[in-house]
Amino acid sequence: MTTTPMTAIETEDRRQYRATRRRDFAVDLSMALATVLAALAIGFLVMLATGNDPIRAYEVMLTGPLERSFRVGRWLEDATTLTLLGLSVAIPFRARQISLGAESQVYAGALAAATVAIFVPLSPVVAVIVPMAAAAAAGAGMGLVPGAMKARLGANEIVATLMLNAIVVRVYDYLVNGPLKESGSSAVHSKSIQQDSALTPLSDWFGVPLGRANIGFGVMLLTAVALWLLITRTPLGYRIRMTGANPDFAAYGGIRVPRVIEWSFVIGGAVAGLAGAHLVQGVYGRLEPGLAGSLAFEGIVVALLARNNPLVVVVAGLFYSYLRAGGDIMEQQTDVGTEIVVVIQAVIVLLVTAQALPSLLKRRIARRQVGVR
Amino acid sequence: MSSVLDVVLSSAFLAAALRIATPYLLAAFGGLVAERAGISNIALEGQMLSAACTGALVAGYSGSVALGTVSGVAMATLLGVLLAALRLELGADAIIAGIGLNLLASGGTAYAVYSLLDDKGGTSGLKSGSLPTVTLPGVEKVPVIGDVLSGQNMITWLAFLAAPFVAWLFYRTRFGLHLRAVGEMPDAAASVGIAVRRVQYTGLALSGALAGLAGVFLSMGYVSFFVRDMTAGRGFIALAAVFLGGLRPWGVFLAALGFGAAEALAVQLGTLDVPPQLVSTIPYAMTLVALALYAWRRKRRGRAVPAAASL
Repeated sequence: MTTTPMTAIETEDRRQYRATRRRDFAVDLSMALATVLAALAIGFLVMLATGNDPIRAYEVMLTGPLERSFRVGRWLEDATTLTLLGLSVAIPFRARQISLGAESQVYAGALAAATVAIFVPLSPVVAVIVPMAAAAAAGAGMGLVPGAMKARLGANEIVATLMLNAIVVRVYDYLVNGPLKESGSSAVHSKSIQQDSALTPLSDWFGVPLGRANIGFGVMLLTAVALWLLITRTPLGYRIRMTGANPDFAAYGGIRVPRVIEWSFVIGGAVAGLAGAHLVQGVYGRLEPGLAGSLAFEGIVVALLARNNPLVVVVAGLFYSYLRAGGDIMEQQTDVGTEIVVVIQAVIVLLVTAQALPSLLKRRIARRQVGVR
Repeated sequence: MSSVLDVVLSSAFLAAALRIATPYLLAAFGGLVAERAGISNIALEGQMLSAACTGALVAGYSGSVALGTVSGVAMATLLGVLLAALRLELGADAIIAGIGLNLLASGGTAYAVYSLLDDKGGTSGLKSGSLPTVTLPGVEKVPVIGDVLSGQNMITWLAFLAAPFVAWLFYRTRFGLHLRAVGEMPDAAASVGIAVRRVQYTGLALSGALAGLAGVFLSMGYVSFFVRDMTAGRGFIALAAVFLGGLRPWGVFLAALGFGAAEALAVQLGTLDVPPQLVSTIPYAMTLVALALYAWRRKRRGRAVPAAASL
């Protein structure tokens, strides 16, 4: 990396910098854990207050997903989509852009992937990759619209992304019910994708039934690592972080802030597009109405919980989809509705917003380390 | 095309437009007050939902529609104060806290209804009744105007009175002056002795109350029961109307009314030979274009963006 040997001071600086980073990471992770525990405790009280048995409910919820291998598969499948959507909003969030556009991007991605995977004949391997690329491109395009509106015109990105969501979801609904609907079928869905375009199920590799979980999980892990490298190790990542930390200062330092903002939306959109490809090529094998459910919005929770650190997003995504899977099992086996999971999730968000807490903690630790009282 | 014109000019359409615009108007004024106080209220959706649910449940169990209305509005007001507290006391980002409150409302109302009534869908099993409509004795007989104006719900009337009320509040009262000053530049406001926090808490409470009225209208005016997630994104549309209206009372009034009319049109055109999903995208596409135009015009004029509008 460096060609000239570092001076002793530089080495020391670097060591200290790394130590700070490690400490911040540890604090982020433990804050996330504490947040979750507090939210679970509040959920406990809510169940108690409404006359349900919280101990039994939590027992089922927390052990259920691991009891059978196909339940594990259900969890991993959900985690793949959710984590990709979490990653997709984490990038614009890093540039301090509140993008709520994952919904439009995931549906656009699903449409693009399905169109290619159903209608374009391709040789093996390529047949998997091209639809995914199409989905990423479509998602990126959906990110570009609000991104450019914000960066070039200063239009409010929250309103822009929400309006785009409303439009794309309706167009998707129209296409699935109309032009793309499989003729001769009574249920509403598109034709199935070609066999070659399907993402290989994980069951084929592990020899146990894992439901619809597929190698999209690996794609998700790779995406997370790639985004982490992008944010921490590349000039663009630096510009995104600078823009997020202080846009005025970034502009003063010669960073073209509008362009960086646009890129953050485009990259986020591409990742959300991949989530759409995963749903089409890995989970459903075709287009279905309401494909992504509420996942797009829940991705925001995951990103927030992970403080927009791509690697922590994976942990948060796995954890949160575990709660979702457990919530479904809890609803089947006890009287407690799965809505309690949404309440727990809401409490997590509200606790995470209490910005004053973690920065206070970080400052206190740092102060103790340098020996200032 | 003549059939479209027939639809638009019919008194049934105009009456429907006023009815559909009601929750947009109230929620948009709620959003406007909060925005001008310097705290974006993205929790309008959750406040409407909580009010709708609380209203229907309380009215159903107590048998009093009035009590239901008051409790619904009170619940939404409380959420407004909670949002202000999260922002002011805990340093939370108002947008993210708002997302959290929306989730809490969505999960909390569904959980409450399921726990109390053992019904996943809503409170249709509960007889909760609805708010009275207002018939205008003289006007009722007038051909078109009578059909349009008479027989509207009392909350629709309140929604239309909210426009002059908010305009009066902003520009004719001391509180309105303080509110706008706080939203524009809190430090400057504090330096001349305005109690910034108190103004913001009051503004957010009022914002919640207006959204609460919108919510109560959904479950006790539109229909007489609560359905899970019945706000269906209306809070977000109302927020769009706030920005589209340029953060001014009468601008917001026109924007919200426009959304109501566009949605009524989409409903009416559904009976014609046009895909309803595509027709229903029209108001959102219009908003997107208008948002871009508004931003472009503002940028070209080079006018300073109000602090609250830049988020």
